[in-house]
Amino acid sequence: MFFRIIRKDMAKSKLITVTTTIFVAAAAMLVSLAAILAVNLAGAIDNLMTQSKTPHFLQMHAGDIDLPRLEAFAQGDAGRDKFQVEAFQAAEFLNVDSARIVIGGSSLSGSVQDNGFATQSDSFDYLLDLEGNVIQPSAGEVYVPIAYMKDGTAKIGDIVEVHGKELVVAGFLRDSQMNSLLASSKRFLVSKEDYAELEKYGTTEYLIEFRLQDSSQVSELEAAYTAAKLEANGPALTYPLFKMLNAISDGIMIAVICMVSLLVVAIAMMCIRFTLLAKIEDDYREIGVMKAIGLRLSDIKKIYLAKYAAIAAAGSILGFALSFLFRGTLLENVRLYMGESKHASLAIWFGLLGVTLVFLAIVGFVSGVLRRFRRLSASEALRFGASQEKKAGFKRVRLSRNRWMDSNIFLGIKDVLSRKGIYATMLSVLVIATFIMIVPQNLHHTISSKGFIAYLGIGQSDIRIDIQQTDRIADKANEIAAVMKVDSSISRYVVLTTKTFYAKMDGGTEERIKVELGNHSVFPLNYASGKAPVTESEIALSSLNAKELVKEVGDTITLVIAGKEQSLTVSGIYSDVTNGGKTAKAVFSDDSADTMWSVVSAELSDKSMVAAKVAEYGRTFSFAKVSDIDQFASQTFGSTISSVGTASKAAVAVALAVMVLVTLLFMKMLVAKDRGSIAIMKAIGFTNKDIMSQYASRSIFVLVLGIVIGTLLSGTLGEALAGGVISSLGASTFSFEINTLSTYLLLPVMMVGAVLLATLIGTSGTGKIVIADHIKE
Amino acid sequence: MKIIQASHLVKSFGAGDEKRNVLDDVSVEINKGEFVTVMGPSGSGKSTLLFVLSGMDGADSGKVSFDGKDLSSLKDNELADLRRTEMGFVFQKAALLSNLNILDNIILPSVRGNAKHTAKLTERAKGLMKKAGIEGLEERDLTQVSGGQLQRAGICRALMGNPNIIFGDEPTGALNSKTAAEIMDILAEINEDGTAILLVTHDAIVAAKSERILFMLDGKIASEMALPKFKGERLDERVEAVAAKMREIGI
Repeated sequence: MFFRIIRKDMAKSKLITVTTTIFVAAAAMLVSLAAILAVNLAGAIDNLMTQSKTPHFLQMHAGDIDLPRLEAFAQGDAGRDKFQVEAFQAAEFLNVDSARIVIGGSSLSGSVQDNGFATQSDSFDYLLDLEGNVIQPSAGEVYVPIAYMKDGTAKIGDIVEVHGKELVVAGFLRDSQMNSLLASSKRFLVSKEDYAELEKYGTTEYLIEFRLQDSSQVSELEAAYTAAKLEANGPALTYPLFKMLNAISDGIMIAVICMVSLLVVAIAMMCIRFTLLAKIEDDYREIGVMKAIGLRLSDIKKIYLAKYAAIAAAGSILGFALSFLFRGTLLENVRLYMGESKHASLAIWFGLLGVTLVFLAIVGFVSGVLRRFRRLSASEALRFGASQEKKAGFKRVRLSRNRWMDSNIFLGIKDVLSRKGIYATMLSVLVIATFIMIVPQNLHHTISSKGFIAYLGIGQSDIRIDIQQTDRIADKANEIAAVMKVDSSISRYVVLTTKTFYAKMDGGTEERIKVELGNHSVFPLNYASGKAPVTESEIALSSLNAKELVKEVGDTITLVIAGKEQSLTVSGIYSDVTNGGKTAKAVFSDDSADTMWSVVSAELSDKSMVAAKVAEYGRTFSFAKVSDIDQFASQTFGSTISSVGTASKAAVAVALAVMVLVTLLFMKMLVAKDRGSIAIMKAIGFTNKDIMSQYASRSIFVLVLGIVIGTLLSGTLGEALAGGVISSLGASTFSFEINTLSTYLLLPVMMVGAVLLATLIGTSGTGKIVIADHIKE
Repeated sequence: MKIIQASHLVKSFGAGDEKRNVLDDVSVEINKGEFVTVMGPSGSGKSTLLFVLSGMDGADSGKVSFDGKDLSSLKDNELADLRRTEMGFVFQKAALLSNLNILDNIILPSVRGNAKHTAKLTERAKGLMKKAGIEGLEERDLTQVSGGQLQRAGICRALMGNPNIIFGDEPTGALNSKTAAEIMDILAEINEDGTAILLVTHDAIVAAKSERILFMLDGKIASEMALPKFKGERLDERVEAVAAKMREIGI
């Protein structure tokens, strides 16, 4: 019997059944995709890092090293027994001026990455080919980082020329440490012979690496390494950080898919609620009859539940099948950068689990909605054929008091106000749609805005000149500053020098801390709390440092400066993604500590000259790396920005499609529900156009409310959610940079267009309503 | 002067073997200011005739002229304008909109595109309500008044546009006899003022108040009966005459 009833009911409401199934299918597909992607990503990262034997602790160091001392640390009692160091190595990384690396005829001068050469490691930190094998390049061959294959910079067979030496691109490599664009260095793999030849063209940097038997010992090892005052002229990185760097780009995509799938599930549920309530209202008398003749409540519920269980099952199966179509495309990036997952077969089960959850959630939801059967009175249903629940009329809005508004618009708005329950569903969908349009749009606008880098620890200048891995850093920085001083095209500049100091911890131990000295007010950062240091007794900490040192604004920290302990007050805390994220800023002067690096930032009076100036300074100061800040940002966060950009465009398309579909569905249902009222209005002289404009007013009124609420939510809840995404980039606080034109004009116009179009199509059936059919007794 | 002239109206429902002519070559004329009722058993086609004559439904063939205008030549919008400005309608179940109060329902057709005259129209509606005996119910919801009061409100709405004719489809069908009589008195009064009335009814007492009765059987006008204008005299004789006629033609 159930089948017959369900089939008949579905045939009667094809559009609604199809639309609801589509929403369920979309939700199931997205949930399944998110599960499959997450499992694959996690598996692929694990696989890559296992195959590569990624180091658990890495200390980069520019300058000479005392290898026996390091070996003694790694293999001595502490290293071997306490931290269970499985392997240790000091791998070389030959940093070569990017401008001197020419691939297929074009140089990497535009790259903000530190490009360099390396040889294959002996026992761990392997560079792998695309099949996951440890590469052993022959002489004359070079393996290029996968990122350069993705962006089309290199292809197999291309010639890589370094200071005249030619190497052939034999393949591409996966580097479990430096795959991500967020890792600022890129390793090219060559044979030992070629490396020896190239050595004279660059500066050697050491990757001091440790593999542990028990990776949970990393922080202790790091602390012991610092305490031993071993080589540390460069950032220190750990296994979890490598994992995070590998996961970020695709992780954000998965997070976005999860968010969208939750929204689609919510929309599917709202559609079901609306159709179900309308259906119950239509069937009121029949339900009353069933109740009166003694059918159990649970039997009556089963009829309705069976229908939606059928829809949910069909949608879930369809969605799961569809997820197979798209997962290849979405997994492409993961496969390219990380290779196959070892949990690939597991992923399908997780996908299935996700789909099952969607199915159960919908069935549970329907069951919840059907609870109102309990309140249904059989006698009332039989007598009136409809619920006699008091109509929530909006009494203050009276047609007889309306003096200026077109009566059709008035009647449209009045209807929305008097049937809030019905329109609440449509409103919720429109609020959600507005939200999913605006939030990614503003997120994209924010992270692609020039000011955003100030949230990431980089001052807002035009040109950035890095002087590192060279001798006489201070002299060289002064040399550049002297040229800038007389360069009329430069409106302001500042030299910031980073030195290492020891900070005295509460327990009497010492922690090494990198402090950037200079005037920090020239190109200020956005501080998460507090402000930039101004006096010599102030210091600002990056959020990571503040967290690690357990310091807040106003606390004091003791540094050893020129052999003397000096107390500094924390003036502010800022987010930083540069140099491993653990930085500090102060203004005191010091001649005692060694300079690690210097950065000269400059602003031009004429922004159009940036490219020319970058080239000019690059030529003049070949020892330094000169970058255009915009380019720096776009190359560092470029792929994330473009992913978010794509996601935001997709979100607009999805939201508009949802709006059209839901409005269409609602309007069709409303027209079906209101046939009687429409017939009355036609009978007393309202034209089809009048009636359509009443419906258009209803949907536009609901849309305007939806846009207002959605925009407000975007600015509050959306900002907080986007904050989560942005904090994964390293910025702990930020505020939305709203794309005014788009948020307040373009998107609303698009939404109004979409909703109006859907309303017109959805209500076109009013013309076909024959008065006599609905009024004649 | 004729307000409605209809000739050879045919309208059928169903298809194939089940096809049935609800109007079978019906021709009818209504004079301006005339009070006409249509009687007949259920399914005889009387309501369909009313809907076709008022332009709310179309005939398969035949012609309806309203005040000289051929209804079949008018577009939907022109028909809607005609219904709003020249005709008034009263239905068995008052057919009011449930989300508007009584007053708003009454002024509804006349405020279309006329918002700035709402104050004047509201005054007129209140005047009509007073005349119909439902003064003071302006702000009431439809659920807060009786069936008779709803029907009076329906009549007030029909009168808002100063129509030349009021069509009534069993306007007293759902009311008790006392209320039905009161509604008929109101309609008679309206007719006194010169508005033509065309009512469909089962009730001989209602029909007895009209000037002419059309008896329908199987989609045809089986017979007509003319009565002198009702001036409030005793109704019994007229009712008896109508009943006799009904017996004669087998209704």
